[in-house]
Amino acid sequence: MTSTTTTTVSAGTAVRGVELSKKYGEGPAAVVALDAVDVSIETGRFTAIMGPSGSGKSTLLHLLAGLDRPSSGQIYLGETEISSLKDKQLTLLRRDQIGFIFQAFNLLPTLTAAENIELPIRIAGRKPDEFWVRTLVETVGLTGRLSHRPAQLSGGQQQRVAAARALASRPRIVFADEPTGALDSRSSADLLGFLRQAVREMGQTIVMVTHDPVAASYADRVLFLADGRIVDEMHDPTAESVFDYMKSLGA
Amino acid sequence: MLTASLRGMLTHRLRLVLTTVSIALGVAFLAGTLMLTDTMKLAFNQLFGKVTAGTDAVVRQEAAYSQTSGVAPARRPIEASVLDRVRKVEGVAAAEGSVSGYALLTDTAGRAVLAEGGAPTMGYSMPSDEALRGDVHVRTGRAPTGPSEVAIDATSADKGDIALGSTIKIMFSGPAREFTVVGTVGYGDETDLGGTTAAHFDTATAQQVLGAPGVFNEIQVRGADGVDDVVLAERLSAVVPDGVEAVTGATVAKEASDSITKNFMFLNIMFGVFAGISLFVGSFIIWNTFTMIVTQRAREIALLRSIGATRRQVRRSLLLEATVLGVAASVLGIGLGAGVATGLTALMGALGLSLPSTSLQVQPRTVWLSLVVGVAVTVAAAFVPARRAMKVLPIEALRDATPGARTPSKRRAAIGAVIAALGLAAILNGLYGDGGTTLVPIGILTVMIGVITLAPLAARPLASAIGAPLRWRGFPGELARQNAMRNPRRTASTAAALMIGLALVVTMGVFGSSLKASFGTILGESTNAELFLTPASAQGAGFSSEVSKIVADVPGVSVVSPTSWGTARIGGAATTYSSVDPATIESALNLEMIAGSASRLGSDGVLVSDEKATEKGWTVGDTVQMEFPTSGTQSLRISGVFAGSGFLNGSYVISRATHEANDPARLDANALVLVDKGASVGDVQDRIAAALAGHPDAQVLDRAGYEKQVGGMVNQVMAFVTVMLLLAVVIALLGIVNTLALSVFERTRELGLLRAVGMTRGQVRTMVRWESVVISLIGALVGAGLGTGFGVALSQSLKGDGITEVAVPGGQITFYVIAAALAGVLAAVGPARSAARVDVLRAVVTD
Repeated sequence: MTSTTTTTVSAGTAVRGVELSKKYGEGPAAVVALDAVDVSIETGRFTAIMGPSGSGKSTLLHLLAGLDRPSSGQIYLGETEISSLKDKQLTLLRRDQIGFIFQAFNLLPTLTAAENIELPIRIAGRKPDEFWVRTLVETVGLTGRLSHRPAQLSGGQQQRVAAARALASRPRIVFADEPTGALDSRSSADLLGFLRQAVREMGQTIVMVTHDPVAASYADRVLFLADGRIVDEMHDPTAESVFDYMKSLGA
Repeated sequence: MLTASLRGMLTHRLRLVLTTVSIALGVAFLAGTLMLTDTMKLAFNQLFGKVTAGTDAVVRQEAAYSQTSGVAPARRPIEASVLDRVRKVEGVAAAEGSVSGYALLTDTAGRAVLAEGGAPTMGYSMPSDEALRGDVHVRTGRAPTGPSEVAIDATSADKGDIALGSTIKIMFSGPAREFTVVGTVGYGDETDLGGTTAAHFDTATAQQVLGAPGVFNEIQVRGADGVDDVVLAERLSAVVPDGVEAVTGATVAKEASDSITKNFMFLNIMFGVFAGISLFVGSFIIWNTFTMIVTQRAREIALLRSIGATRRQVRRSLLLEATVLGVAASVLGIGLGAGVATGLTALMGALGLSLPSTSLQVQPRTVWLSLVVGVAVTVAAAFVPARRAMKVLPIEALRDATPGARTPSKRRAAIGAVIAALGLAAILNGLYGDGGTTLVPIGILTVMIGVITLAPLAARPLASAIGAPLRWRGFPGELARQNAMRNPRRTASTAAALMIGLALVVTMGVFGSSLKASFGTILGESTNAELFLTPASAQGAGFSSEVSKIVADVPGVSVVSPTSWGTARIGGAATTYSSVDPATIESALNLEMIAGSASRLGSDGVLVSDEKATEKGWTVGDTVQMEFPTSGTQSLRISGVFAGSGFLNGSYVISRATHEANDPARLDANALVLVDKGASVGDVQDRIAAALAGHPDAQVLDRAGYEKQVGGMVNQVMAFVTVMLLLAVVIALLGIVNTLALSVFERTRELGLLRAVGMTRGQVRTMVRWESVVISLIGALVGAGLGTGFGVALSQSLKGDGITEVAVPGGQITFYVIAAALAGVLAAVGPARSAARVDVLRAVVTD
């Protein structure tokens, strides 16, 4: 399958994967999750990664985010080749330059919402930028809930805390792994709206894995994965166009 | 259900291992103690059986009553004329008088050959009839004959490097004498008699140096072939005078063995107590483990319930799990017990308490008792968590239940507070009320139980306060503090185990230092003596009365006042008495006489403490009936009432002459020395030391030296007790490892999240480590606090027994607390490592 995409023109590249492969197991029983993928994520844009179950979309996200290591290939975050970094350097890189939103369990149950938002900054032993954090909190609509613990927040509120956390340290890039997977449609819309706002108004770079065409429609660009390869991409998608394309992939 | 239980156990191997070990250690202590007891009993039986092997019957004075201490009860000597009567009895093949008494060997350089701790230094007559010697046999050289020959036990010969043919000095309660060593003696296969040093003389010499001419301690009889021992003893009984008895050799051997076993009884009790403490501490770990099992398995249990398992089945399956664990731990413990027994023997050996060796005895009783106790403790500790498991509802299978921390109830607070208050009331009543001092230890135990009950309520605020300085350790420190606060019950029961251990250790520490401080004060306040004569070693029985005579002649010495002590019965109750020299005691010791005078003691007087006098309504001139083990009941006239207790033992003081009359084996226990006005104490001490060069049974010490010697003895005992208690602390630390390991397992996702958002492995390790330190410190600080209080209360309660000072060893307690914190760091090593290794992806990916 030949890629019909052009991965060049943009203001700049936030993260780039070259010939990325991920294999699980050895020998003939080995499962190839990702097969020599070349990918480039542009700065200041909202990119969605889509694909059917087992297409390797989460694996790709984990590799780009430095949560997992590729079997072969390189990943460049800016100018830094991260697949060869030691655990400590990689951890510090995640802490200082990458933000995360997971599908669930984003928050430490013992910490308040405010403390959770400041978590990566506090881990780094730095003082949070009060003004920036307040702006984030207001934007995600959590003012007044800051002293609540996760158990006292709804699922949607929890994910918004997670989003604020991801942005709090002004990371180079934010990775979101099915952030709306456990939310109802209204909460999903709130969260995705906030993510798009972060890209449009704050110039944040966001990469999101999702299987929901509606969620993908918030992105500027959608990458489609199937069987461990990028098979196509779409710019300025709508929910319908993505849904139709997904149907064609599934068929 | 059974397979489900067993599978569950095997899934968490570390938990299984830690829980098993924590119970196994307690069981090991119990099994080890029992093995040691049985081994000791057998060894002494064998030993004394061998010694009396050739003696079929013994003729001796009836004892007024049998003392609990000493190898043989002290008896009055028997007239030599009885021997002639005995020899004429039909069936007697041989009969000889035997004599024994205090004898301290010195080596060729004049140094004392000291007995292994606890054992006496003895002299014996050696029968000329070889069969009567039993298994006491000459190993090298020959048997002693004549007034200047001695054979000594092979151990002493070896230890003192005393060659055959050398001349050595031997100390007696009377004047010392020189002897030529003509032989070494063995006892069966042993080279000494349970640590005793022995000098063997011919009978006539023994009479001169150990007893008195014309009398024996007893008469040993060998029966003719075919004469039954019992029959022989009966025939002998018929001819001996009133007050003299005849018993079989076997009876004597058994008495000797029983008596020495009784001496070691305190060790058995002590070890038993330590085993109990260890098991109690271990039960907290079991409790913790099963609580965590139930919480983690809530879903699994709910699933079982929803597919039709009854509550009973759920409980049964957990208790079954506890039983399997208990059996496994007990079996392991019994195995380890052999090691414990060996270790304890070595430990006692290091402290100078050597035991005769024989193969380690594992009686069936040891096995079943250890099994029963181990399983019972395990099942009992698992019972409450199992009840909780019963209450898991089937619906919980469907809930996404995160193991939550239940807030401790108000009822618990009330119950705990009441128990603690009752305990405190008991302590206060024991100290200041009229409840008697036995209330104090009971109160201490009650307070402990109250505090354990309250612990879950206090855990959160304590963790918060103790963890407060962790803010300066950065964010991982702050998280550590919060983690320690999250599950107060778990933190509490983990810390409680350490708390108990440390409370006991600190109690002993405070008690020990109070003991030492009190001795210093007693010395300072009750005597103006500058120098003290004491036995050469802390374990020495005493020294010859000759010593005081020698010292009295040293220039610069103004007064030498020897004192001693013994036991007697008054009104049927065993009591300790002191004996003093009436002529000098009041110039050396402030007895704080309320009535009468010590100088009027004479040979039939007694001084009683004002406490006893008030209790019994005695006044000067009244008569007290004292029953001595050797001489029976004597009527003594009260010649004074004293208030100054402390330096002297007990509530009764008699004269040296009275003591000697009723206990021929008396030795001086110590002597107070006053120097002439203007004389240099140091010079006089040097001169006394020089004068005593030939008397290594005694030494001269100044006040500081004496305090140091007594302090050293206290330290030794305290060290021994502390080492035992540290076992409980070790078990408590295993509990911390267990709790941390389980917490790390429970928090896998959190750890993964923290790692994902940028916490380094080092920071994760720091976090777990500090959580461990917080838990340890909760246990250590509360334990140290309680222990200090308990130690003070205990010391106060023994005021009447001479503990007049209360001293809190601040440095020592601080050391324990710091050590506990460091131990917390150590306990966290494994869990911290596994926390740092958590796979980030597995934690954050929703499956």
